[in-house]
Amino acid sequence: MIFAGSARSGPAPRLLAVFAYGLPLIFIGAPLLSFLAYSVFTMADGQIVAGFSLSNYQRFFTGAIFLPVLWQTCLLCLAVAALATAIGFPVAFLLAQMKGRRRYFLLLMVLVPLLMSYIIKIYAIRSILGGNGFLNRFLLWTGVIGEPLTLFVFNLNAVLLTLTVLLIPFAILPIFLSLERIPSSYIEASSDLGASNLQTFARIVLPLSLPGIVTAATFVFVLAIGDFLTPQMVGGQNGFTFGRIVYSQFGTAFNWPFGAALAVILAVVVIAVIALGGRLERRHA
Amino acid sequence: MTAKLTRRTALGLALAAPAILRSSRAYAAKELRVMAWQGYADDDWIKEFQELTGASAKVVFVGTDDEIWAKIKGSEGKDFDVFAVNTAQLRRYIDGGLTTPHDLAKLPNQKDVLPRFRDLAAVKGVMRDGKAHAIPFCFDAIGIIYDKDKVNPPPDSFEAFWDEKYKGKILAYDNGEHNFSFTALTLGIADPFHLSAEDMAKIKDKLAAMKRNVLSFYTTPDEALQLYKSNDVALIWANYGQQQVKAMKDAGANIEYVNPKEGALAWLDTWALTSGVQDVDLAEAWVNFLLQKKIGQQLSERTGFGNTVVETGSAGANDKLVWLDFVEDPTKRSDLWNEIKAQP
Repeated sequence: MIFAGSARSGPAPRLLAVFAYGLPLIFIGAPLLSFLAYSVFTMADGQIVAGFSLSNYQRFFTGAIFLPVLWQTCLLCLAVAALATAIGFPVAFLLAQMKGRRRYFLLLMVLVPLLMSYIIKIYAIRSILGGNGFLNRFLLWTGVIGEPLTLFVFNLNAVLLTLTVLLIPFAILPIFLSLERIPSSYIEASSDLGASNLQTFARIVLPLSLPGIVTAATFVFVLAIGDFLTPQMVGGQNGFTFGRIVYSQFGTAFNWPFGAALAVILAVVVIAVIALGGRLERRHA
Repeated sequence: MTAKLTRRTALGLALAAPAILRSSRAYAAKELRVMAWQGYADDDWIKEFQELTGASAKVVFVGTDDEIWAKIKGSEGKDFDVFAVNTAQLRRYIDGGLTTPHDLAKLPNQKDVLPRFRDLAAVKGVMRDGKAHAIPFCFDAIGIIYDKDKVNPPPDSFEAFWDEKYKGKILAYDNGEHNFSFTALTLGIADPFHLSAEDMAKIKDKLAAMKRNVLSFYTTPDEALQLYKSNDVALIWANYGQQQVKAMKDAGANIEYVNPKEGALAWLDTWALTSGVQDVDLAEAWVNFLLQKKIGQQLSERTGFGNTVVETGSAGANDKLVWLDFVEDPTKRSDLWNEIKAQP
């Protein structure tokens, strides 16, 4: 509604309102509703039967693998969020310290990986991480290790590392924005009053950038938990996450209703995390 | 009959012209929508077919059986005219009314195929109620690829996948259905496609043990090749058979292929018409076109697969092949496979 102020009368604002509310309704609301609807359907003889049944949800809570895998996936994504934020913060901080054109140029450089195909990035990381991949060959060459490491070869560590690398840009941006918004007068005032750089950072910069940090962590967590490709590509025999189970319901198992129910549960987790993030942000804003 | 060009006829012609143009455009725009595996619809064949028929062929390539099912079932057969499907999968398409039986009179080349494919009633799964729902096109076996430097002597049994010697050096395939079948063969179960609950439990334990020996599960041949290149891999469960062997050898890998003594699962791909086929004649022309000896030869040369018209060495004469069949409960196998993968 950015033009609402300039065209207060006439049909334009109303039209704009129709678009503003209509498009999200069609492209976000309707698909979500269809998921919700599918999740209460059932399967019989390979056919989807429309009707109301909570059996899919019941299966989620009683099945042996679903809750544990969801829990492990949440832990994994929490770790990804923590790592990406921890790595993203210093980068964002350095960028925010810079002056003039250089800082926006470097910010752009940080965001360039987002223009690349996601799958190509995973493939690239995979050839870096493999048993005789780039990383191992490099470490062998430098003599740091005697034989190839298996620490990052097709296991959950590899998933953690790959997701972190892929999602770091999403952590940098919100943190950068929150750091940029801190008025320089606050920092000057702090040092005028005799605070050391560390004190200024700990008492002024960090608390004021907390909303950005929370947004960054929320972003990364939400993006990571919905990912089903990375665990498949770099997770090896242990890289099994909740996204993989959802994915398999739409392919191999052809159980769309159950897949939809699992997706709804995943959506609930995501919404809860976003709500929690929003609350934390408001508290620190 | 010379028509004098009066104002009236000129007007008539002017009015009719767009309609004439439209109809000729409609003919030129005749389109065949094909869903196929890589290698089943090469550019030169498509070009030749288009020149022969004047139609355009639009091909969508797929990577997994599940993708075909999702696309055909997802559109209730309306998005494609003709699709490649293996005999194991075919039954659920026929059951679901997603196919149209072939008109054999429109497939003269089918009379000249290899003997074992000539009598369609003898090919498990392609006939239903006396009608041929699919025409065999291409086949291959799913055995073992081994690295000649790392595995000596060559493996002769699937048991190699459980051999501690190869721990962390094995690539398996990410599919519950096939994994249960080949493990059943390994355990000596007579019918690997119809397992009792007891057998399933036994196989689940066996597969869980294999999982601990495996480096990763792959889904596409490219993926397996990339994994092979950047890791220490000794054995690969060769879901893509000769296609994979060829790609790996082309990439310089020192590997060989073997059909194990328990019997290798073998697939047979066919062409089926969808229930939503728009132009049956055109679709049959496509299938008949591909059943030429020249095409069969090229298919085998390019992919390494066996074809149905020309003899090839896809599998040795004494190799035991177990033709894939629809399994008792794919959803159950998929669920159990998820459980195996979720195990620590």
